[in-house]
Amino acid sequence: MNYSVAVFAGIGLLLLLAIAWLAFSETRRKTKVIRNGHGGREGLHISHLPQIKQALANSDFMYLKEQGHPGLAKRIRTERRRIALRYLTCLRVEFERLLYLARMVAVMSPHVPVAQEIQGLRLNLEFSYRYYLIFFRLVSGIAPLEDIGNLSDMVSALTVRMETAMSELGEQAALGAEFLPHNGGGLDTGG
Amino acid sequence: MEILWAASFIVQLALCGILIKLRHFRRLPFFTAYVCLNVAQSLVLYPIFRYYGINSHAASLVGWWSEAITLLARLFATVEILHLVLISYRGIWGLAWRLLAGTSLVVLVCVCLASRERPDLALMRADRGYHLIFAAALISCLALIRYYSIRVENAYKVLLVGFCFYSCVKILLNTILYDFSYQQHHSPDAFIWHIVVVFPYLIVVLFWGVALAHPLPEKRKEVVLPPSIYQRISPEINLQLQAINKQLMNFWKIEEPQQ
Repeated sequence: MNYSVAVFAGIGLLLLLAIAWLAFSETRRKTKVIRNGHGGREGLHISHLPQIKQALANSDFMYLKEQGHPGLAKRIRTERRRIALRYLTCLRVEFERLLYLARMVAVMSPHVPVAQEIQGLRLNLEFSYRYYLIFFRLVSGIAPLEDIGNLSDMVSALTVRMETAMSELGEQAALGAEFLPHNGGGLDTGG
Repeated sequence: MEILWAASFIVQLALCGILIKLRHFRRLPFFTAYVCLNVAQSLVLYPIFRYYGINSHAASLVGWWSEAITLLARLFATVEILHLVLISYRGIWGLAWRLLAGTSLVVLVCVCLASRERPDLALMRADRGYHLIFAAALISCLALIRYYSIRVENAYKVLLVGFCFYSCVKILLNTILYDFSYQQHHSPDAFIWHIVVVFPYLIVVLFWGVALAHPLPEKRKEVVLPPSIYQRISPEINLQLQAINKQLMNFWKIEEPQQ
């Protein structure tokens, strides 16, 4: 079969799959997470930061090893790695929540500069790529747990700033939240 | 063939009736015009096909010219529906039409580059190129709508997906029936061509009819924030995202020697 026939047939099939996905895929989980999420500061991961940092500290494992309990140290390390993974997932949820707020502001704005949105999209993609890189390294056991704390600090700072900024939206933001998709958004949400 | 044509004609006529009876033409004037043009195309082509034959030069000439007109009408109808979906979101509509124009331009260049050979297939390739541009631009726009979690009412969703589905099918049919057939040194039969083209369109029109059998949703109220809020918050978020990404990058670099 000729090269161009294969290419065009492939493109046609890909476009068909893309439209099927856009039309029938489920509602994005992000919006559900946001709606079910806590609105107050107590719901933010920052309030759990000291505990998580303590759990991620390397000193406990060192101490157990020095005391002659390598088995226990290994078990605790495994458990804490699991906690770290959950924490990383929470960071992502929070990150997505902030991105959602940014999108909400864009949706309600009368003028949305293309460059600004492209930058936001690019940064989001970069974050996703690096997040999964760290995630898989953590799963495989080659990432030092305590360094996740730095990532946590960054997301926390963003959260605090965004919360402050969003609170300034006042009534309009509340109206906007009503105005935005009630049923989870996306193409699959109509009627 | 004639049964399929008759069925297609009746279904299109019924869709016209729905558009007029439920007064959808007020909200969807270009879409109504597109459906009416399709009915008119069938009315013009049928006697020509009967009198001159489906493989005749006259049939080909009238067929392609009428097709060009309906394709133009379809473009206007699609933009009209997208505008209705995004009418309450001025900023996103601004992004969407730029995306439509940008995607169309890029795909147009690609299609022109890929279709330089075989001038005897120019018409078919122009038709395929149009559908490729149309589908790619529409899918990009729908992806944008999804990215911003904008709600698309069922009726509009069915119309847009129908347009896109038909274009994708046309790309595949053009490629397989014409391109591949010519490579096997025989031209496809116009009779078969018309059957495989009319059938998916009939399905699409049926779905459109069902979707439009109900009143169209009311226009949503536009909520607009002062531009200063976006200008203040969005760069702030992007700066923070950049900082987080840098942190992640550093995180990776720190670990490298430990491997």
